[in-house]
This record gives sequence, structure tokens and C-alpha cells, in this order.
Amino acid sequence: MPDHIKPLEKDSKVRKLSGEQTGKSLVPELVKYLGPIILVQLVFVLAPLAIILLFSLLKTGAYGKIIYAFTLDNYVKLIDGGYGMVFLKSFFYAVQTNFMCILISYPLAYYIARYGKRWKMFFIFMIIIPSWTAYIVRLYALKTLVGSNGLINSWLMGFGLIDAPIQFLYTPLAVSVGLVYTWLPFMVLPLFAAMEGLDSSMWEAAEDLGATPFRRFVRITLPLTRGGLLAGTILVMIPALGDWLVPHLLGGSKVMMAGMVVAHKFTTTGDIPAGSCMATALASILLLVLYFVIKWGGREALEQSL
Amino acid sequence: MSPRIWFLRIVSILAYIFLWAPVIVIIVFSFSANKFGIRWEGFTMQWYYKLLENEAVWDACIRSLVIASVTVVVSTALGTLTAYGLYKLKFRGKMLLRTSILLPIVMPEVVTASALLVFFIKATPLTLGYPTIIIAHIVFSTPLAVFVILGRMQRVDWAWEEAAMDLGATRIRAFRRVIGPVLLPGIAGAAALIFPWSFDDFVITYFVAGIGNTTLPVYIFSQLRHGSSPVVNVIGTLFILFTLASLLLFMLVEKRSRAKGM
Repeated sequence: MPDHIKPLEKDSKVRKLSGEQTGKSLVPELVKYLGPIILVQLVFVLAPLAIILLFSLLKTGAYGKIIYAFTLDNYVKLIDGGYGMVFLKSFFYAVQTNFMCILISYPLAYYIARYGKRWKMFFIFMIIIPSWTAYIVRLYALKTLVGSNGLINSWLMGFGLIDAPIQFLYTPLAVSVGLVYTWLPFMVLPLFAAMEGLDSSMWEAAEDLGATPFRRFVRITLPLTRGGLLAGTILVMIPALGDWLVPHLLGGSKVMMAGMVVAHKFTTTGDIPAGSCMATALASILLLVLYFVIKWGGREALEQSL
Repeated sequence: MSPRIWFLRIVSILAYIFLWAPVIVIIVFSFSANKFGIRWEGFTMQWYYKLLENEAVWDACIRSLVIASVTVVVSTALGTLTAYGLYKLKFRGKMLLRTSILLPIVMPEVVTASALLVFFIKATPLTLGYPTIIIAHIVFSTPLAVFVILGRMQRVDWAWEEAAMDLGATRIRAFRRVIGPVLLPGIAGAAALIFPWSFDDFVITYFVAGIGNTTLPVYIFSQLRHGSSPVVNVIGTLFILFTLASLLLFMLVEKRSRAKGM
């Protein structure tokens, strides 16, 4: 929004016509246009978050019955009941996923932006489709491909490379691969958007002046695509941190992640206070990540990459 | 060609194979005669016919369609109104509001899902079912509408609105007759994106659906414990085609609106 380039002084009529509301007339306009969303936000976004915060401070009795008494037990259990490790591990998986996605996305986005030519839109479309396909379908597809009697194993056995199927499903590696598979498009797209806006003569100039590829990346590409990188990080790291289906479907019960524990507490054991506590903890980590990313300038890129 | 470009090309090709191989495999296997849907045993359309007779799938599909349709209408309308307000009005706390609107989509789905679940069962008289699913879908779809339409508003020539209002049109009338039609492609684009967004959702729906209100993604989930099956391959294939169609529609609308000079 080029607000800063608008003329500074305007008479009140121009101001009114151009829709810049000031003083008294602002409130009714606010209510008219933003009242509904504010209401929705308060009732269906903020109130539910406040409610899980509240429930996370309650006790669970026998058979998942909630006892309305204040306690910090859930948080204590979270830290030393083994779940602390689960959170730490999830965080590790999320960082690893983000790192792998960055590693793959930079060359890919750069290649499409600089050498895609008239196929550019097609290449990008082929990244957008997976990002919009129901992720349960994509995970099912991955599982079908790599399962112990899936295509990869039967090919490997067919060629005589292995005698027995490799057990890939239900290993930590499967979870790592699954997370990258699921969230990769969400790193490629904002990075591509950031690179697309750049003038390719910059790289050419640097190349002519003898900069090495590494130096070009560090001095040109990286600083100029920072917004895209931050947006991609929000879109990849946060969902990866709270992912439920990937560890559930690909990790079996072998690999525990925070999102899976939350889902388990709610959908299987029905332990609302403990589940709320974990969801709250997850949400706080997220808010922290979000705060830093926005502070470092990722907001605009994030909103645009939607 | 320099080795550097070959490096970039190989990484890109591998990335595309990684993203697409599993999807292509289930599309191919949806036509395979193998009854576990895991290898090629000759061409058949029988699983597609089987799907037509499968009442559970039909039931889930209709439920998903109803939910997505209601969500599209409400979220797009709310999104347009909100985007207009955010674009036009200047006030303190605007950044806070924008961040808050982003929350439902940047938060891990399990957090939004569990917060809504506890809210519905403990703080409202609603029983889990259509109303709770639809409210949840509106909550996570509206942000998308807001930011897609807001992006489009930045390309509109607002002088037209000023001109209309200068000539005596009220703001509402100016919107209906001038800005609305100009924005329509953007609004339609948002709708084309929200439809699959809502139709595809699994995690949040699974939490707030209650018992028996199976949507199509929830149906797939329920089938997964039996391992792979040709019928799920078929549903997966249809999901991919459906996504493709929605995105093509979105891009078509987008292209039209660019052609109009926006």
C-alpha cells in the first residue's frame, strides 16, 4: 500500500471521498465492515484458545472426568513425564524438515525462476497442485509406494538387489521423509515468489565480476529472498511441529511427536485437561516462532504467499 | 552447459519425482486389476464402477460438498467485507487484527482443532455435527479469503470509486455498481481456492465432526487402517483431479482479471 506517497494535506471532502475515515465517523465504519470478523475472531478463535488454556489448568479424574480445581499438574507432567522429550524431538523434526526443505527449495526455485523460460508457469503449477491436494491423499500415496509390499520394495526385489522387503515404514527416517514430502511445496512457492521479483542482471553482473556461486548465493540471493525464506519457514516449520498424520501414518507408534500426542489425548483417551495443556504448549511455541519471524520481516511475504 | 546448471537441473528433477511419483503411482494403480491396489495387473475400470455403488462414499462425498459449499459462500462474503474494511480504514490495532486473522491458518491444525473441540463441547450447547464442522471450516477458510481479496484490492484503481461517490453514489452503491464488478474475479478466485481448501480438510474436521459425520477425507482415514486398496486409489485420483480443476478455474479467473487491466 503506497500510503506514504499520498499527498499529505487533503481537505475533508477529498478525505471523505477517498475513504480515509477520521475521528467520529470511524467507529460506525469499523463496526459495519470489521464488526463481523472481529466477532468471529473473538468468539471462534480467541475464546477457544482461552478455553484450552483454562482447561489445561484443571485436573482429570477417573474415566477422563474433569475436576474443576486449579492445578499445574499437567504442565509438571508435560515437563518431566516424558512428554518434554516428545516436544523436544518434535522441535528437532521441525527444524530438520525446514532445513531439508530450504536445501531442496533454493536450487529448485532458482532454477525455475532463472531457467524456466516459457515453462515457468507449468513448473510452478506442478508445485502448486501437490500443495493443494488433500494431504491425507498424498500421505496415503506415499505409504502405498514405500510400504513393505509397495512398488519400491517389489522392484528392488525384482531386480534381485534385496532378498526381503526393506522395512522403511514405521521408522524415524520414514517420518523425516514424510514431513519433507508433505511440506516441501510450501517452501518452494514463497521462495520462488521472492526470486521471481528479482532482476536477473544482478546475478549476471556478479558472475561477470567473478563472484563464485557460493558468494553470489550468500551476497545476493539470500539477502534478497529473506522475506520468502521467513514466510516459507512459517508455512513449513509450524505445521511440521504440530503434524499428526505423518508420525501417525508413517511412524506407527514408534515415533512420537507433539501433534500426535495432542490428537491421541483428544480422539482416543478423551483426557481434555492433559490434551489442552499440550495444545497450549504447542500454541505458545508457535506464537514465539511467529513473533520472531514477523519481527524479522516475514509478515508481508507470508500474507502474499497465501 | 556448465556443471552448475546441471546440478540445478538434477536437483529440480529429483524434487519433482519426489513430489509426484507417489501421486502418479496411485493414479496408475486405480486402473490396475490387482485387488490390493499395490501393483500393475492389467487395465480395468472396475474400481470406478465399484465406487459408484459404494453408499458410504456417496454419503461422505455429499456431506463434504454441502460443507464446502456453505463454507465458500460464508467465508467469501465475510472475507470480502473484511478485506474492504482492512483496506479502507486506518485505525489502531489493525496489525493486531491482521495477525489474529492469520492465526487459524498458521497454527498447527491440531491446536485449532482441539481448541474448537473443547470450545464446542464445553462452552456451547451445540452437538458435534454439521453446525460445528461448518463453523470450524469458516474459521480456517476466512483468512484465506481475506488475504486473497486484499491482494486483489491493491490492484484496483480506487479512483473509480471516488468518481462514483463524487457523482453522488453512496459507498454501498459505489461498491455494488463499480468496485464489486471490478473485484468480482478476485472474489471468484478466492471462492475457487476455498472450495478445495474446505473439501480437503481432514484434521480439524475429524476433531469436531462427532460420531458418524464422515466426510470424504475422514472416510479415507477410516480406510487406511486396512492398508492400501484400489477404491482408495480411485478416491485419491478423483481428489487430485478435483484439485487440478479448482486451480485451473482459479487461474482462468485470474487471467481474465489481468486481461481486464487489473
